[in-house]
Amino acid sequence: MKALRYSSLLIIVAILLLSVVAYHLRAAADNEVPRVQLNTDNIAPRPIEDLTSKSVPRDYALAWQTLEQALEENQTGLLDGYFTGFAKQDFTQRINSQLKSGLHTRYTDRGHKLEALFYSPTGDVMELRDHAQLDMQILDGGKVIYDEPMNAEFTVLMTPGADRWLVRQIQATSGEKP
Amino acid sequence: MRAVIIAAMMCFSGVSAVASEIHAPAQVTAGTAITIRTSGSGDATFYLVGPASASKTKVQAGSNIPIDSDQLEDAGRYVAALCASDGCTAANFFVKPAAANKLSFLVHPSRVPVGTPQGITAVAIVHDSFRNIVLQPSPVTFSIMAKNEKSVSAARTSENGVAWVRLTSAKKGGPTRLGAAIGHADEIRVVQQVAADACNLRIKASRAKRGFLVETEPVHDCGGNPVPDGTVVSFTESDAAGKTTVDVPIKRGVAKIEMPIDGSAKITVASGVVTGNELEVTGGQ
Repeated sequence: MKALRYSSLLIIVAILLLSVVAYHLRAAADNEVPRVQLNTDNIAPRPIEDLTSKSVPRDYALAWQTLEQALEENQTGLLDGYFTGFAKQDFTQRINSQLKSGLHTRYTDRGHKLEALFYSPTGDVMELRDHAQLDMQILDGGKVIYDEPMNAEFTVLMTPGADRWLVRQIQATSGEKP
Repeated sequence: MRAVIIAAMMCFSGVSAVASEIHAPAQVTAGTAITIRTSGSGDATFYLVGPASASKTKVQAGSNIPIDSDQLEDAGRYVAALCASDGCTAANFFVKPAAANKLSFLVHPSRVPVGTPQGITAVAIVHDSFRNIVLQPSPVTFSIMAKNEKSVSAARTSENGVAWVRLTSAKKGGPTRLGAAIGHADEIRVVQQVAADACNLRIKASRAKRGFLVETEPVHDCGGNPVPDGTVVSFTESDAAGKTTVDVPIKRGVAKIEMPIDGSAKITVASGVVTGNELEVTGGQ
């Protein structure tokens, strides 16, 4: 009888430990830089430089990483690194209104396929289309009020900053359930 | 048997009376007010989360929820959710951009030599009144309006919200207006057109205290536009001792320098890739 009690206790402790480990693994995965693949086959009129073809997907991935963190933790300061112009303005507004309503948005990022559409002749603006796979959760405090996986499509404008490419505008153009 | 059927019907009718549902239009135009229909009964919380907003309001399930036009100005994906005692239900809808009505206009460079073929690049990004990118093809007219010259226009249709053009700079120097227009909206930028390379560069020399004063005639490009002050002119003196070159910026339209010359020497002049005339002078006592 005693042995049974101890084994039940051990099972409960093991479950609790596994839950803690799973939670931390998920948190670690959430902080990973999302996968971004860039396709430049149809870029025009300026051909993309080697360095730019590496820095655009890198900076776009970092932009999403910081955006996801900013929307989950409601921290507008996180947008400073990779957002500018309308994109920064819109997300700042969204975070401020989330704060006011007690809401959070949590994304699980399953990757982005970026397609470069336009690169200006002088290299000062690039337009891209992003086919993103995301799981989106909206939480009111700790309560999940919306949870859905989605295939989203975004039109993105990026401009070069001092040492990186910045997201200037991002607009969802369609989305469907996978 | 009848009792079972009645009980089942009551049960189903009971479910349909309390279960909350939400119905949003599939697509909305930016800046348009809508009404979201809900079903169910009792107190509920309504959430609306869009690209630049998130709101939470207390409502009665089963009522129609009006959404003001100013809550739907940003194009993109919106989530409308209704949470009542029986749980949460949600609907997604898209807000698409309104008609093209604004432009973001980028022009490069800000200074360009006159008459440079395709020397100016103009890019216009098409927006609606709420500065959403309008992806529908829209006609954009680019124009270059130089002082005392006929304006030249070029029409382009935007693709994925972007239209662009390369323009040849005007023939006269000075500020030139570049415009992009869509519907009733237009944007203007000013490009400073500067003289091209010097043309017919000519120098003259006169005796000075310690040699010769060598100076150019007023420096112009081939279109007669004065080459701007600060442009460098190189004077080279060649004599038996070798070559000496002095770079002098143009000041008030001319470049001049006093050169100590002993014996006979040749003086040549150049500005960029353009060379001018050659002088032979003899200095000394």
